[in-house]
Amino acid sequence: MDEMALNVSTAAVRAEGLSRRYGATRALDGVDIALERGITGLLGPNGAGKTTLLSILATVNEPDAGRVSAFGLDPGHAAERVEIRRRLGYLPQELGYHRHFTVAAFLDYVAILKEITDRRRRAEEVARVLAAVGLEDRARSRIRALSGGMRQRLGIAQALLGEPDLLILDEPTAGLDPEQRLRFRELLSSLPGDPVTVLSTHQADDIAAICPHVVVLLKGQMHFAGTPAELAAAAAGRVWAAGERDDRAHLSWRGGDNRWRHIGDHPPTGAELVSPTVEDGYLMLSHTAGAR
Amino acid sequence: MTTTGGGPALPGAGTAALADGHAPASLTARSRDVRLRTVLGLARVEASLLARSLLALAGVIAGGAVVWVLIATMQPLWWSADWRIGAGQLILGMTVLAAAQLAAGRARRDSMTDLYASFPATAGTRTLGYLVGLAGAVPASLVLLGAGAVVVQARGAIGSPSVTVLAAGVVLVIAAGAVGAAIGTRFAHPLAGVIGALLMFLPEATSHLSSGAGLWLIPWDILLNQLGNLPGPLAGYPPAVGHLLELAGVALLAGVVALAMTVRGAWARGGLVVAGVVAVPVIAFAVVAQLSPIPTTELNHLVTEIADPASVQHCTTANHVRYCLYPGFGRDLPSLEAPVDGVLARVPARPGQALTVGQIVAPQNITNEYLFYGHSQQQVTQWNAQIMREPASAPSASAFYLSVGRWPADGGRLADAHFNVALTAAEWAVRLLSPDTLPTEQPCVPVDQAREPIAIWLAILATHPPASGLQNDGGMTAVEVHNTLVPTWTNAGGPVGQITGSAPQLTDAGYLLAKAMTSLPEQKVSQALRGAWATWLNEHTTDAQLAAALGIRMPSVPQPPLAGPGSGQPGLKTVGQPGPQSRACTS
Ligand SMILES: Nc1ncnc2c1ncn2[C@@H]1O[C@H](COP(=O)(O)OP(=O)(O)OP(=O)(O)O)[C@@H](O)[C@H]1O
Ligand SMILES: [Mg+2]
Repeated sequence: MDEMALNVSTAAVRAEGLSRRYGATRALDGVDIALERGITGLLGPNGAGKTTLLSILATVNEPDAGRVSAFGLDPGHAAERVEIRRRLGYLPQELGYHRHFTVAAFLDYVAILKEITDRRRRAEEVARVLAAVGLEDRARSRIRALSGGMRQRLGIAQALLGEPDLLILDEPTAGLDPEQRLRFRELLSSLPGDPVTVLSTHQADDIAAICPHVVVLLKGQMHFAGTPAELAAAAAGRVWAAGERDDRAHLSWRGGDNRWRHIGDHPPTGAELVSPTVEDGYLMLSHTAGAR
Repeated sequence: MTTTGGGPALPGAGTAALADGHAPASLTARSRDVRLRTVLGLARVEASLLARSLLALAGVIAGGAVVWVLIATMQPLWWSADWRIGAGQLILGMTVLAAAQLAAGRARRDSMTDLYASFPATAGTRTLGYLVGLAGAVPASLVLLGAGAVVVQARGAIGSPSVTVLAAGVVLVIAAGAVGAAIGTRFAHPLAGVIGALLMFLPEATSHLSSGAGLWLIPWDILLNQLGNLPGPLAGYPPAVGHLLELAGVALLAGVVALAMTVRGAWARGGLVVAGVVAVPVIAFAVVAQLSPIPTTELNHLVTEIADPASVQHCTTANHVRYCLYPGFGRDLPSLEAPVDGVLARVPARPGQALTVGQIVAPQNITNEYLFYGHSQQQVTQWNAQIMREPASAPSASAFYLSVGRWPADGGRLADAHFNVALTAAEWAVRLLSPDTLPTEQPCVPVDQAREPIAIWLAILATHPPASGLQNDGGMTAVEVHNTLVPTWTNAGGPVGQITGSAPQLTDAGYLLAKAMTSLPEQKVSQALRGAWATWLNEHTTDAQLAAALGIRMPSVPQPPLAGPGSGQPGLKTVGQPGPQSRACTS
């Protein structure tokens, strides 16, 4: 905990003691988080508070308690909040679109809202982000004519406008096909300027592939902050593969190879120990937290 | 505290100085500059969206149609046409209101609020963008204005337009857009804009509540028809400047309301309060100015112009006929002379008393309740009495009158009007204009008088009217003369031009005989007429005698149904049944 506190005090973007309630629901309950340059993955089950946390970091939501600082700026202060927004790229989890706009017109519009006032520079930016998400040939299409996955890529594209210093992506890979997910990983890993990036996802393999840091949020509280390897290690010695289902295991599921995978404290009969993945670590963690 | 470290500079970044929460002045100024450019950027996008929106297009089309209908049916008098163009702008304003509401409510309607909230451009900046973007409605408004002006001008405009009135139409569109933006800022649902647009029409439905002064968005509504019946503009009325001010105030107030809902800063809110404090009295003042009655001197002048046209009209004599027209109407002169001359050229001898063709303001065409609003009952009674003494109120055997505002500019209606002038001139020539029939009395009927078909024949030859204008209007009608039902003829184009005089009620027999006469060579008929002109004019010379002299058969006249209970057949009607008998015309 001491080590984390130290981390928090020197990180580019940090939050301390964040709490947020919606009526009786505690969406966030005393969360401390430190985000460094590079990509941080945020894992957590439905309702864990990921979207709430990201929206607070994106300055569009306010915590009931705790404080946030981004690049030394305080979002509670109006002028500083604007400064943070000038350096921010945000993809909300649920984004409607102006469906009658064309792709390029929508991006141009967002670019203006991001204060890219020079027309030529705006056109360059729009072209750049369109290329980044592979939508160059749909620039003239109306948004309503895009598929769901293309629309998601457009959402990512708008977040990239203006080369943000702080990139907050809430479930960016939802709806992307495998090829586009790979492309997205590559895109994030090669962003210019090495921005502070945080993304939430339910895809542990996304995290394993691109995130040097991972944070696990459970029931509004932070339960893990570290590297994917460290998260996987949380399940070390507790993941087994077997031919049959074992009822004593915390979690069991059948893989594509028709073999059962178990996470548990006791090896099922005839099972072999396998090396854990990030997903195993996350499932283990959420199980123990749920048991507590 | 750490600052950012590396990373590319962003537009508007440069934040280290802000770390402790104090913004240096230079940065604030720069921030303001960025904000201004953002507003302009947004405004450009919104303006182009608005200018290309289907709603604006629909507004131009619908508004254009309204302008066309309002202008095409009237004499192109600028002092009325400029307000009529404004009525078209009201339609455009309604669609622009709806479009602006859609734009301002777009972010909320499309669930983009979270994303928009994450941008450095604030909600206030966006609202300003929508408001400035209303400039996109100006081209549509100007198209409407320009097209209306071209049509009025092309149809031979009389007078000149008021720039203030025309400008007020453009401001009306902007004001409507600002109202739409204000509605959209608060209510994102598209219906809110539709309701707002419809509410714009409400003042029209309730304008009688304003004691006839016609305030609010459409003061021209009440005065629309009256203005076009006046011989000239009423100086300063309707109060165009007040109207323009009112609309500008509405635009300002709507903008203030829209911004008040989005702007946060204390300074900005202070500015809004000031703007609101300015806008409200401006509107109030403008409304009061519009409610003020037309000044007595102005009305005295108008009443004199109506009661005693000679005091202002320009009279010219051509071919021994006197034409008296209000100033500015001289361009209609050739259009009057041609049919009159066409008749005179075929008349063997004219009556001793020369013909006068004059222009009048028909009292029934003006609603004094509105014109004289705000003046004492005694004064109004006096003015009304004066107006009733206009020249056409007295019977005359040698004059007929055209009502101001009713002379058509072109097309079939103009042909009908030409025929009507020719017919009345011919009635004068055959002495059928009666010196002892008040225009309010039952006209006399030239039953079986040869001069009647002669007059109709003269008018037909003089103007060659379209057959549709000659058709008997309203099916079969009849009057009772000497206890006999006489089928009458009222030409379908008869009301066109609204010509007043002591003209007779023509008969179907007269028309049918005249029509038969047109099948003869003109030369032959002229010769027969010239041979015994005095005889033909005699009231006792009959249709049969004329037919015999020309060697044609008397056309058979369809008989009207007998009047009385139960005899009414659909499509047939009788006039003067039961009732006073009509007189036969005498010499
Ligand atoms: N606007 C709101 N009003 C009421 N409750 C809310 C609201 N937003 C979130 N919550 C509640 O707060 C909790 C956290 O929600 P949040 O959306 O942050 O979860 P999440 O981790 O993003 O979930 P998911 O993976 O499903 O997106 C949930 O219990 C949710 O019901
Ligand atoms: Mg979520």
